[in-house]
Amino acid sequence: MIEISNFSFTYRESADPVVRDINLTIPDGAFVGITGAAGSGKSTLTYAMNGIIPHCYPGDFYGSVNVCGLDTVECDLTEISRRVGSVCQDIDSQMVSSIVEDEMLYGLENFGVAHEEIEARVAEALDAMGIADLRDRTIDSLSGGQKQKVALAAIVALRPEVLVLDEPTAELDPASSVAVYELLRRYAREHGTTVVIVEQKIALLCDYADLLVVIDDGRIRFADRPENVLEHADELLAIGVNCPRSTTLCHDLKAAGLYEGAVCKNVNDAVAMAEQVLALASSEEGGAR
Amino acid sequence: MIEFSHVSASYDGELAVLRDVSFRIEDGSFVAFVGTNGAGKSTTMRLINGLLKPTEGQVLIDGTPTTELKTSELAQRVGFLFQNPDRQICNNTVREEMMFGFKALGKESPEAEVRADEIMAAFGLNPDDDPFLLNRGTRQLLALASIIVLQPPVVVLDEPTTGLDFRECTKVMEIIRRLHERGTTVVMVCHDMEVVADYAESIIVMSAGRVLAQGPTYELLRDRVLTQEASLVAPQMVALSLALGSQHPQLANTAVGQANTLSEMERALGLEIAEGGEPR
Amino acid sequence: MTGFLEYVPGNSLLHRMNPVAKLFCALLISVACFCTSNLIFLACVLIFDFALAAHCKMTRQAMGLAKAVTIFSLILAVIQLLTNSTGMVLVPLPWGYIGTGGVIGAVTIILRLVAAAVPLFLVMYVTKMTDLANSVVKVLHVPYKYAFTFTSTVHFIPVFMNDMAGIMEAQTARGVQFDQGSIVKKIRLMVPLCIPLLVSSVRKTNSAAIAAEVRGFNLRTRESGYKQYPFATLDVVSLVICVCILVVAILLGVLL
Repeated sequence: MIEISNFSFTYRESADPVVRDINLTIPDGAFVGITGAAGSGKSTLTYAMNGIIPHCYPGDFYGSVNVCGLDTVECDLTEISRRVGSVCQDIDSQMVSSIVEDEMLYGLENFGVAHEEIEARVAEALDAMGIADLRDRTIDSLSGGQKQKVALAAIVALRPEVLVLDEPTAELDPASSVAVYELLRRYAREHGTTVVIVEQKIALLCDYADLLVVIDDGRIRFADRPENVLEHADELLAIGVNCPRSTTLCHDLKAAGLYEGAVCKNVNDAVAMAEQVLALASSEEGGAR
Repeated sequence: MIEFSHVSASYDGELAVLRDVSFRIEDGSFVAFVGTNGAGKSTTMRLINGLLKPTEGQVLIDGTPTTELKTSELAQRVGFLFQNPDRQICNNTVREEMMFGFKALGKESPEAEVRADEIMAAFGLNPDDDPFLLNRGTRQLLALASIIVLQPPVVVLDEPTTGLDFRECTKVMEIIRRLHERGTTVVMVCHDMEVVADYAESIIVMSAGRVLAQGPTYELLRDRVLTQEASLVAPQMVALSLALGSQHPQLANTAVGQANTLSEMERALGLEIAEGGEPR
Repeated sequence: MTGFLEYVPGNSLLHRMNPVAKLFCALLISVACFCTSNLIFLACVLIFDFALAAHCKMTRQAMGLAKAVTIFSLILAVIQLLTNSTGMVLVPLPWGYIGTGGVIGAVTIILRLVAAAVPLFLVMYVTKMTDLANSVVKVLHVPYKYAFTFTSTVHFIPVFMNDMAGIMEAQTARGVQFDQGSIVKKIRLMVPLCIPLLVSSVRKTNSAAIAAEVRGFNLRTRESGYKQYPFATLDVVSLVICVCILVVAILLGVLL
């Protein structure tokens, strides 16, 4: 469980807090998406969850952040890292090795996983990310999507209770992005892992997240199930967050009185909605006759 | 006009990244290259601006092979916006950055200054700002502005919206749309199919170093065999229209089954009811 | 696509040797080259170097390296040529003459530097950086922090070179001509590019440091390494051979 209460943070070099008055509870095993406009404080919020704040970036820290029972201010970063696995945005610079296998070993060795257990962990993590065949490849020779999966596998092998990912699909094409989300969801369900993802592509979050957190100017504006957040399309647009087109269609039809029902978050929902709208028309037609 | 005729290319003479690629981009068009990572889109862009020369075939810019043009000559014909503005921006003020291209080409002039001022004003850029303190979206705008100020007849954009939020993305794309309306040829690589569908007139679909198809954007995005083969994710309204058309064959040839955009779909869903309800 | 000093996968004898043994053998050969000025010996070492390179299919890289080192050592060789006025007079100079002694000295410098440098660089090509660091920590008890600093530096060279290439490309696309004009003009063009490179390097090293820390960097000790690096017969034999080379070199140096 992650519990953030009355949390505000100001980087040392800036005058105003980047995030403020954050209150957020994330239950174990949740798949959480964090989105918001550029500079809204999304990344800062994740840094608070994986301990990078306050341990790597100095500044004024108010309130408390409690992750897996650890107070992030009181514990050192290494202690937090045992429970929380993080993948940063810049994949290239976080690779420590030139070979996939060595990259996998690094964290396992450091955290003192028993040597006889290591082989199984490596194999399992590579399998979970569907990249068992890349084990002996050099990291330079991998595509962006493959590198992303290697970075995830290297963290997953540590069996963290919480995974914190900063825009894991920023450089990937739509098909590879979906593939990464599929892998993450399957893995998280099988292992009961809590996943927190910062993501710009809201359509992906709507499909995968249980909890969608929308940040605006350092404050949480919404923290709810995606379909509930999407009810507020106009407010989202006003703070620079775009809704999927299916949702916009749904809202426009609702406004015109053509549809009443659950909000659409993806194409499948929209198909059902359109069917309902069209079927309604035919029944009215019958009544008129 | 940009023309590729049977172009193959590779880095370091190793495995071919592009194989026998041919296409033509007419003056004044707005073309998007789509395909997965590694399909050869970025390589194609580098061939257009002469950073890479073909190992076989020819890349012709207005009829001249890029192998016969100096990079500085090419730079005046083709403006190039890279995915990462940080690689482009290298001056201490926004104004210097805007003038850098003129300086590099040895074409500094009072007119150039005036044009730079106009564009900075239009883009909402402050000439005295330090580019390195601007946020990512503004830096992308600055990088674009410093290309546009040179008035190249063609602009090539490599994933211009990656890393930008919705507002920044719209701002950049609207500027590109206006640029196109004033006659500039726009060539872009873009992963976001909604953006591609909203802005590009035609697309070139690439997969594994080959061109699979070239044609009007919606026509190709509605081709399920093609999108499957190239691992493309169709824009939501196209996907919705296609899904409705295939699940309810009677809809396939109606406005619903043919709708491409949000407004078309809305009209179709509204109109169907009006037409069905009123006449009888 | 393989970059400068980057590991090239393979399964040759050299690839399979213990990383520490490799490093020591290379050092012994290099030291040997500095212990004697015997041209025949140096030539033999050079031939031996290239035989090794050929064995692990690294001839192309070794040739490239040899070329680079030769160019560098030419400067020293020219100085030697102009200042070492011994032996037969070949070309008279205002302050002396170019003599056979100078020529021999110049050739020696080039041979020595190339023969000494090739094995060291070869080690980089046939050893994974992580293996080298881990074995140095495990076998030689070097603190991990230093080993990590070294490996990350090497690791970042191609990343930065890639960055620089990207930046130059972006500027070329704006009409900057790096391939024309005088050196002064070129340097003036290059200077502004250092800023984006610096910005991106600082950002990259910072995020690399954080990434290593959240993966337990601080916990790593000598025992952490999963792979073991035992000395095999091959390693012992190689070390003995290299020690012999050194002994020969010293004897030659003392006797001649």
